[in-house]
Amino acid sequence: MSFIEVTGLRKVYRLGQEKVYALKSINLRIEKGEICCILGTSGSGKSTLLNMLAGLEKPTRGDIIINGVNIAKLSERKLAKFRQENTGFIFQAYNLIPQLSSLENVGMPLMFKGWSRRKRDKEAKKMLEAVGLKSRMKHRPNQMSGGQQQRVGIARAFVAKPNVVFADEPTGNLDTKTTADVMELMVKMCREHNLTLILVTHDLDIAKYADRIVHLIDGDIHSDEVNKAVYDPFADKVDDKSKQPAS
Amino acid sequence: MKLFDMIIMCLRNLWRRKGRTLLTVIGVIIGCCAIIVMISLGQGMNAAMDNMLASWGDLNAITIYGNSRYMWVGDSNSNSEDRPSLDEDALEMMKNLDHVETVFPKIEVDSNYVTVTAGKNGRYRASWMEIYGVDFSALEKMGYVPEQGDYPSGDDTLHTLVFGNEAAYQFRDTKKRGQNSYTYKQMLPDGTWSEPFFDPMTESVLIYVNNMKKQNDDGTYQSGGRAYEFKMTTAAVLEQDNDWQTVYSLMIDMDLAKEIINSYNRLNNVKDAKDPEFSQIKLWVDDINNVDAVETILSDLGYNTSSMASQRKSMQGQLGVVQMVLGCLAAISLLVAAIGITNTMIMSIYERTREIGIMKVLGCFISNIRVVFLMEAGMIGLLGGAIGTVISYVISAVMNTLGSDTFANMFGIYTDGSSPISIIPLWLVLLALAFSTVIGLISGFYPANRAVKISALEAIRNE
Repeated sequence: MSFIEVTGLRKVYRLGQEKVYALKSINLRIEKGEICCILGTSGSGKSTLLNMLAGLEKPTRGDIIINGVNIAKLSERKLAKFRQENTGFIFQAYNLIPQLSSLENVGMPLMFKGWSRRKRDKEAKKMLEAVGLKSRMKHRPNQMSGGQQQRVGIARAFVAKPNVVFADEPTGNLDTKTTADVMELMVKMCREHNLTLILVTHDLDIAKYADRIVHLIDGDIHSDEVNKAVYDPFADKVDDKSKQPAS
Repeated sequence: MKLFDMIIMCLRNLWRRKGRTLLTVIGVIIGCCAIIVMISLGQGMNAAMDNMLASWGDLNAITIYGNSRYMWVGDSNSNSEDRPSLDEDALEMMKNLDHVETVFPKIEVDSNYVTVTAGKNGRYRASWMEIYGVDFSALEKMGYVPEQGDYPSGDDTLHTLVFGNEAAYQFRDTKKRGQNSYTYKQMLPDGTWSEPFFDPMTESVLIYVNNMKKQNDDGTYQSGGRAYEFKMTTAAVLEQDNDWQTVYSLMIDMDLAKEIINSYNRLNNVKDAKDPEFSQIKLWVDDINNVDAVETILSDLGYNTSSMASQRKSMQGQLGVVQMVLGCLAAISLLVAAIGITNTMIMSIYERTREIGIMKVLGCFISNIRVVFLMEAGMIGLLGGAIGTVISYVISAVMNTLGSDTFANMFGIYTDGSSPISIIPLWLVLLALAFSTVIGLISGFYPANRAVKISALEAIRNE
C-alpha cells in the first residue's frame, strides 16, 4: 500500500445553475519519501487537489487515504488531530502570525499539540538553526525579508516531524535567487527526514526539483512521469567537490 | 493546547487592540457600577428599615396576645372567644416549639382592680396603674436593665416590685390641688430630670384591691380591707427602654398577680370567674429568619400574634418594588455593555480571519479556538466587573460621606439618617464579578461560534 492513495477523486463546485468540475476523477499514488510536484496552470485544479490532500476541503466523491487513514471521512476534530501528527504546510504568502516572533511562529504547531513552552522553544530553536535563522529568533515577520519569512514557514512546517509536507506555490512571492535557496532548503529537509513533499506550482523551474511531476490540465491528470533529471543540488555539490576541488 | 497558552493568547489578543478593549471594558464598568450602586442603595434602605424597626421593638420577638377586652389588639374579623386560651399548657407548648429560645409570659392586672399608694398614710396615689405579673428571673434575659437597685433576687420575691422608668410619675399627691398634684418626667433647665413626688427605692408601696362598692368622691375606690392589701418593697427602677408598655407600669411576681386577680373576684363577687390567664406571651426566636415560620405556626393555631418581622415583611415588599425598578435601570446599562462586547468580538473576528485559518491548517482544535474567544469576552467582562467594583466602592463612600439627605431626596429613598445609604456587602461584590464575567461569556458565545465556523480555506486564500 502506498503512503498516499487517491482514488476516483472528484470535486464539483456550483456556480449558480452551472456545475464546475474542478477535479474530474483523479487516481494517484505517492510513496513515502517521494517529492511529488503537481504542475498546472491556474484553474487546472492543482490547488483544489492539494487542499483536499491536506484535508482542508471535502471531496465530492472519492477517497484520500494517507498513512492508512481515509481523511475524506474524518470528523473535524480527528482531522485536526491528523494534521497535528502527520502534516506540515508551507504557504505562498508565508502566513506567519505578525504579532509573534519567529520562534513563537515555529512553535505554533507544537503548541496546538499541547507541548509546554520550554519544550517547544527548544525544538523551534533547533529548527530555526537548521534553516539558518539562528540570529532571527526574536524577530517579528515584518522585520524579515520574504526569503527569511519563508524559511520560518519551512521551519514551522517541519517542526512537528510530520509524515507529509504540503507546499502551495512556496516560492510564488520570491525572486529567482531566493527561490533557489528556499527550494534547496525544502528538498534538503525532506531528504534528511525521508518525508513526502507535495509541491504545487505552475513553474517548470521548480518542478525540476521533484522526483515526479504530475501534470494537471482542466481537472484531469494529463501526464504523470518520473523526473529523469532530478535537480539535486546536494548530489551536484558532492560531485562538484570530488571533480573540481579547487573552484 | 495548554490552558496557559490559551490564556496567554487571549491576553495577547486583548492587548493587541487595547484601545478597543478599553472602550468595551468601560462599557462593562459603567454597567457594573450601575448595578452595584443601585443594589447597594437597596441594601442601605433595608438596613435603615431594620434600624427603624429595631428601634420600635425587638425583631426576633413575637408577641401573642391573650383574650383581652381591649379591641386594639384583636383583629375585628374573628371572634376572640374562639381563640385558644393562653394558659400554662399553651406556655409549655410554645416553650417547646422549634427555634423558640425564651418565653416571657405576662399577666396583666386590670388597672381597674387595684389602687397603688405610697408615702405616709397613702399620700401619693395611683388609681389607674398598669401592673404586670412577670417572671422576675427572666427580666435580665428580656433586656430590662435596672437604673436604680438591682434585679429582684432571693427566695421570697412575692412582695417585690419593679418600677418602670416613669411609673413613679404616675402617682398623684393627694394633699395638693389642681395642676400641682401631678408631675411628669421632664428635662429641667440644668440638664437633670425632674423628680417624682417620692423615691420608690426608699418609700414602701402599698397595693390594695378595689372594693367596687365603696367609691370615693374623686372616683377612686376604697380598699377591700387589710386582707386585700399588699405591702411591697421596690427592688429596682428600670432604665428607659423601648418597651412602651412597661415604661409607665409596675411589675410584680406572677403568683402575686394571680392572687390579686383572684382576690378581686372574691371581694367583688364576680360570677363565672375563671383562673387568670396570661394576657400576653412574648417569644424570642433564635434567628430573625425563623420568626416568620414560628409566627405562622402560632397564628394557624388561632393565636393573635404580632411581630416586627411581619411588619418588616410588608415593608420589605414595598422596598422591593423600588429596588427592582432601580435594578432594572442598572441592568439596561449592563445589557448595552454586553452588546458592546459582542460587537467588539465580531469586529475582531473579521480582523483575525486569516489567523484563525492558519491556526486551523496547523492543526488547532476548533474547541481551542472557541475557548480562546470565550476567554477574551469573559476577560473583558471580568475586567470591567473588577474595575467597576472598585469604582462602586468609591461612589458608595462618596454618597455616604456627602450626606444621606441629598442623595436620599434625589432618589426618593427612605433613610433614617443614621445608617449609610449605600452598603456594599461582600456577596454583592462576588455577585457582580460573577455576573459581569457570565455576561461577557454569553456575549462572546455568538462571536466564538462564528470564529470556529470560518473555513480554513477561505482564510488562507492568497489574495
